[in-house]
Amino acid sequence: MGLLKPAVPFLLLMGLLQSRPLLCQSPIRITLTETGAPFSKFLEDLHEKFGISYSVISDVAEQGHRVSFSVKDASLKQVLDICFKGQPFTYKMVDGGISIRPFATKSMTVHGQVFDGKNEPLARVTVRVRGDAAAAVATDDNGEFTVSTHEQDPLLIFSSVNYELQELRPKEGKDMTVQLQEKVNELSEVVVHTGFQDVHRKSVTGSVDDVNNELINRRVGPNILERIDGVTSGVLFNTNIAVGTNQSTITIRGRSTIFSNPNPLVVVDNFPYSGDINNINPDDVESITILKDAGAGSIWGALSGNGVIVITTKKGKLNQAPRLTFNTSETVGAKPNLYYLPILSSNDYINVEEYLFHQGYYNPTYYSPAHNALTPVVNLLYQDSLGQLAPAQAQAQIDALRGQDFRPGLDKYFYRPALNSQVSLNLSGGGEYDQYFLSAGYDRDLSNLDRNDYDRVTLNGANSYFLLNGKLELNTDLTLTSSTTVNDNPGGTNVNYPYAQVADAHGNPLPVAYGLNEPYIDTAGGGQLLDWHYRPLQELQNADNPTRLTDYRINFAARYTIRKGLDARAYYQFERGSSDNPNYQSQQTYYTRNLINAYTQNMNGVFSYPVPLGGILNENSSSYTSNNVRLQLDYNDSLFRHGLLNLIGGAEVRDLEGESTNLQLFGYDPGQEIGVPVDYVDLFTQYSNGTALKIPYNDTKLGTSERYISYYGNGVYTYLGRYMLSVSARRDESNLFGVNANQKGVPLGALGGSWQISKESFYHWNWLPLLKLRITDGYNGNVDRSVSAYTTANINPQSNTFGAINASIINPPNADLRWEKIHILNFGTDFSTRNDRFGGTFEYYMKTGLDLIGQSPVDPTTGVTSFTGNTANIRDRGVDLSLHMNNSFGEFRWNSILLFSYVRDKVTKYNQQLATVNGYFSTGTLNPLLGRPLYSVYALKWEGLDHQTGDPKGYLNGSAQSPGQVTENYNSILFSSDLSNLIYKGPVSPPYFGGWRNDLFWRQWGLSFNILYKMGYVFRRGSIDYTDLFDGVSPGHPDYDRRWQNPGDELRTNVPSLPVPNLTANQPRDNFYKNSEALIEKGDQVRLQDVQITFDINRSAHPKLPAQQLRFYLYANSLGIIWKANHAGVDPDFISTIPNPRTLALGVKASF
Amino acid sequence: MDNMKHFSFIRLLSIILLAAGLLAGSCRKAFLDQKPSTDLLIPNTMTVFQELLDNTQVMNISPGIGEVSADNYYLTYATWVGLDTKEYNAYIWAPDLYEGQGLVTDWDIPYQQVFYANTVLQGLTGIQTDTTNQAQWNMLEGEALFTRAFAFFNIAGLFAEPFDSATAATDPGIPIRLTPDFNAKTTRSSMQASYTQLLNDLHTAEGLLPTAIPFTNLNRPSRPAAQALLARIYLSVGDYTDAGLYADSVLQTYSFLLDYNDIPDTLSLIPIKNNMPEILYQSNFPLTGNVLEGILCSGCLIDTNLLFSYAPNDLRRPVYYTQIKSDSFTLKGSYSGTVFPFAGLATDELYLIRAECRARAGQTVNALSDLDSLLTHRWRTGTFTGYPISSVAEALDTILVERRKELAFRGLRWSDLRRLNKEGWGIMLNRNLNGVPYTLPPNSELYTLPIPPDVIQLSGIMQNPR
Repeated sequence: MGLLKPAVPFLLLMGLLQSRPLLCQSPIRITLTETGAPFSKFLEDLHEKFGISYSVISDVAEQGHRVSFSVKDASLKQVLDICFKGQPFTYKMVDGGISIRPFATKSMTVHGQVFDGKNEPLARVTVRVRGDAAAAVATDDNGEFTVSTHEQDPLLIFSSVNYELQELRPKEGKDMTVQLQEKVNELSEVVVHTGFQDVHRKSVTGSVDDVNNELINRRVGPNILERIDGVTSGVLFNTNIAVGTNQSTITIRGRSTIFSNPNPLVVVDNFPYSGDINNINPDDVESITILKDAGAGSIWGALSGNGVIVITTKKGKLNQAPRLTFNTSETVGAKPNLYYLPILSSNDYINVEEYLFHQGYYNPTYYSPAHNALTPVVNLLYQDSLGQLAPAQAQAQIDALRGQDFRPGLDKYFYRPALNSQVSLNLSGGGEYDQYFLSAGYDRDLSNLDRNDYDRVTLNGANSYFLLNGKLELNTDLTLTSSTTVNDNPGGTNVNYPYAQVADAHGNPLPVAYGLNEPYIDTAGGGQLLDWHYRPLQELQNADNPTRLTDYRINFAARYTIRKGLDARAYYQFERGSSDNPNYQSQQTYYTRNLINAYTQNMNGVFSYPVPLGGILNENSSSYTSNNVRLQLDYNDSLFRHGLLNLIGGAEVRDLEGESTNLQLFGYDPGQEIGVPVDYVDLFTQYSNGTALKIPYNDTKLGTSERYISYYGNGVYTYLGRYMLSVSARRDESNLFGVNANQKGVPLGALGGSWQISKESFYHWNWLPLLKLRITDGYNGNVDRSVSAYTTANINPQSNTFGAINASIINPPNADLRWEKIHILNFGTDFSTRNDRFGGTFEYYMKTGLDLIGQSPVDPTTGVTSFTGNTANIRDRGVDLSLHMNNSFGEFRWNSILLFSYVRDKVTKYNQQLATVNGYFSTGTLNPLLGRPLYSVYALKWEGLDHQTGDPKGYLNGSAQSPGQVTENYNSILFSSDLSNLIYKGPVSPPYFGGWRNDLFWRQWGLSFNILYKMGYVFRRGSIDYTDLFDGVSPGHPDYDRRWQNPGDELRTNVPSLPVPNLTANQPRDNFYKNSEALIEKGDQVRLQDVQITFDINRSAHPKLPAQQLRFYLYANSLGIIWKANHAGVDPDFISTIPNPRTLALGVKASF
Repeated sequence: MDNMKHFSFIRLLSIILLAAGLLAGSCRKAFLDQKPSTDLLIPNTMTVFQELLDNTQVMNISPGIGEVSADNYYLTYATWVGLDTKEYNAYIWAPDLYEGQGLVTDWDIPYQQVFYANTVLQGLTGIQTDTTNQAQWNMLEGEALFTRAFAFFNIAGLFAEPFDSATAATDPGIPIRLTPDFNAKTTRSSMQASYTQLLNDLHTAEGLLPTAIPFTNLNRPSRPAAQALLARIYLSVGDYTDAGLYADSVLQTYSFLLDYNDIPDTLSLIPIKNNMPEILYQSNFPLTGNVLEGILCSGCLIDTNLLFSYAPNDLRRPVYYTQIKSDSFTLKGSYSGTVFPFAGLATDELYLIRAECRARAGQTVNALSDLDSLLTHRWRTGTFTGYPISSVAEALDTILVERRKELAFRGLRWSDLRRLNKEGWGIMLNRNLNGVPYTLPPNSELYTLPIPPDVIQLSGIMQNPR
């Protein structure tokens, strides 16, 4: 070895190294002279001069006699025969070298059994005898072994992946009992799955987090991604996501795109997962790996910009007896707390209604020919003032309503305790040449919302076959998921007045004020119309809105070992999923009744129904098909004397085609599954208000296509086990629309290195046996498929006034369209003390999103006002720290893990600025501002309330030089184009976050709890919005009770006075208050996320146990806040929604 | 290692290379040329051109800021202070309308129409014509030219001075953009060049467009619509001969007037239903501000003088307006059968143009006959017996009053104020808000609106003096 022809480096790159050219091609001729050389020197010479390797036990070689000889052009055998003559050992020629072994003596047979730490028999443990290479066996399924050796006083070596090596000397005539300890030092042997290869943790230079099976099973629930919440650093689960702002549910290490896809790539086994993540049964998952930086992620190229989550499913094991595992759990969840969201009391609300009534506020609505609904109180007030009721009768009825609250009814009829049941069963094992994993799972989830259910069946079968002496490996994997989601309960009533009632004392549905006004409904149509009342409870009873999902995945993989260290691999995956959502709204539902009534035509007493009688079916069907092919070569061998080289390279093709269809049928008869034709073309006068409308047309069809061709390579070179260099590169091409072929592709890649200082000879910190430094630098990518190089148009969803199909131009042509690039520089260090009692990982990274898709202003005279192109940059800086501690005190063990992450993003380049301050408060759009985090909270300067009027006071055009002016002209502030009026209050996402998890073990008991914290961010809390209150859009806010009422109140409150109703004046006043500093709160919080208690019983301890192993577990989730910074009573994770109720799960898991 | 293994490896490698080669070849290009989404279109067929021109949300919108500045309505103080910056300032004719805020729809939407039209015009040059598609090609070319001319005219009526033929060659006009390339620089053409371009476009369109009015697609122009627009433009620049001629050309072929006595329910919110047969071309104001939201804006009150100028038997008052308080009326749903105020072209406008041009030409009898034709369709049946008019001046006065009454909130009042004041009619506009008076004297520079600030900043073109 060690001799390389000039051509070899080239071949090396191709994965074609010829490692033993001499022995293979021609017999060696030896010319050598030794004079009284020690036997070991003779062996060294043979190796160095003729490349002959040897295996020998050192003390044996030292017993050898010195040798003297001289040969010329002799064969190896001739030389060996001379030198081994008279030695206390003999030799054997083996492939590539010689094996030196003592003379056979009396043989000895040892029998024994091997167990793991939990006293479970361990199969497939290799048992070797030092110095006797021939004596090597593996334990059987019961962990038993029998080995014979010629060695006297043999030393047995027990080894198995994932277990610490053990050396023991057997006692003559006694059976051995051996216990192997699982490897604790995760860094040394944990296997990391990148989706392209499985690599040992120690040979990773990049930033990788892994979540092992134990951690995955810690939580209970049907969703796999939830299992990584709070257990990995740098990964943040976002809350309070605003629709329309392109915020992702999961952020890995901050944000590095603006308008493009913000979600991490989810890989299942080898390929990106295209289906619904809920299709994956967590019980089928072995581990999850998170690739966080360019060194780890750039192998995924243009898909890797937001980080990669690799899910690895379970597989069988070779030479393992069939093993059946059964897991079941029941989770109960409390009802949500409907009283969490602050609303005005019925009494206050009615007072406001009376006030508005006396101001004449409702007159335009009441007298309008549109007949829009007014609340019962307002109608009573009108009846009273128009003399339609006996005196004092209205007041009595109104006073009765003051005592009503809509929440008890909602709680009783719309909500229930949640109940989730989960069962899974799997069978795994393997023979000498095959392994299998078969599983079935069933989940049934009765949500908190009555009538909303979810059930899921998952089936999975994975098989591997090892053929041609293990040279050929074939894997097949079939996964099928079928689920039904019933979504009949919208969770609310569509009305906001707090005294609404959904049912009477007997549980009969009651109408509420919605749509058209009660007095009009009662008289309209003279009996020719359908009932026009809206009864929320009846809606719930009549809803029929299921979504059925079917998804299957077929994987086929083959590995062929061309020769040792060189494998060719081929992968193919086919995925197909379809979802069908037939929403049937029968004639009993309000939607259908209202539509039929609205279009009813009255021609001189003759009634006709352009929207036909019968139900309405709106069916949305969508499906996707994905095909993935990958061809890859893997090369693993030593390079130079103490170096190891690992190379992979390959190409892949990915094609994801999607399709969705919407179908609407009127007059639908579910029995016959047919509808009735309607006139979509003509306009029909609306029965209630005289406007003319067409019948809504909702039939659509859309196809999407995502295609990639990619080439990739990855190489790691390890030298002396302590220096490591990694290179990875990938080129992706995709069907970016209209982009020139040479711009369709993007080359991305990364370089990395690591240095395990603790292996250096000069390293003397014995207390810290592991110290490693890592660095990576490279590019990940992201793609925005909505932009195009051509002028493109889109068909508008609605036909124009005259019924014609029409189109809009989306973007002017953008010939320079490029992919987004994310430059990531990562520094990391890993350390651990002896026995891994204390250890951790610290990482610092700099992430820069370059060429991000953003908006730039364009002279509107061109016909476009902004241009979408690669014009923006974002910079992230962050730190991930993970510390762990493992302690034992007798039978008591305590593992503790502290996670700390810091990440701050800043928009460093953005060409467009909104025209007014007000634009930065709009909640449904993403409004980047240069120099600020992408998601920021801004506010307007607050100067308190006016002493005379209780109107809020604002501040206009202040600066460092001038104090600005106090003003009550709110529009002048809101519509100011001077952004110095906008105060940055902080980021929406916490820049500091993490968790502290403690796992405690005592005998068979385990207790684990996780405390999460988020710091350094702010949010805007809700308060009274008079415009919304007056309009009936919101039920008001109890801040109303703290409003300014008399001069002097401004000293104790910030809540503005009740204004005289005037939309144009009230709206700016409300908007100013709502967006002022007065309502900004700190988000900082600490919460107890969950607690798990386990109890394990093993057969080794209880021989009569029907199962090998039994585990009982109790898991409590969403336990709540321990500490929060704000005093406004707001859970910062649930600013405007009801917090997730607590859940408690009880489960049992058994293996047979 | 023996040679057999070597051989099988080479064979495997060659298979892999072959597969990789397939990816690199021509099928790779086809594979990657697939559209990412089926709803993404490239505008390169006549079908897509028509779909772009049929986008009524873009192509059939007229700027409303002139109507906001005109005198057909008034606001209460409370309503006024709640308006957005542009309308707030436009109501009192403040010199700075925008206070630095860009994205002014009154400028942006017409130029968006120009962009769409230019996209279609450029695209049409790439379409091979033959006998089967020539008619469609002509229609699309005509539609695009018509729309572009209408947009240029709407811009010129707001952002350029009133047209004066004596100084037009040197007066600054408007940016004339004739290419969809958004990298091309924006410059202001002279007034003469601006009008020459838009009139040439319109004359070409007149020759290309179909003669039949598309009553089921009134968003599409026709030859009568082009002629009606020419009549409107010639009238606005004081060319009464050509205005009268073009109004007459249309009325010769299509002169329908709706008898308001036939409206089933004059009190309903939108008394006139869609596809009103007087309409030649549909266009309306956008609902981007508060003032012109029709029935949705309760604070926009009808000018009392205008309101009381309608005779008791005149059906236009109940059809156009609705009473919301004892002393105040507001606008109802419009001529186009929607809540959007109508700003398109209709036969009633042509009757009034022809009447005015005939009166100005001294043909009093003919002029009054046009007025009679119109008003007999507007008053209760049998109640209109003609105005007792003897002099030409009296006739012109009456016609102009009737013009304002008939075409109120149709986007024409601002243009008329500019034109008539230039002729010396001396119409002074007054507002009063909480006792503070505002006036707009005739021929004030404030009649020419400032170009939006983002346009000035990004293009560097010259601002109007204010």
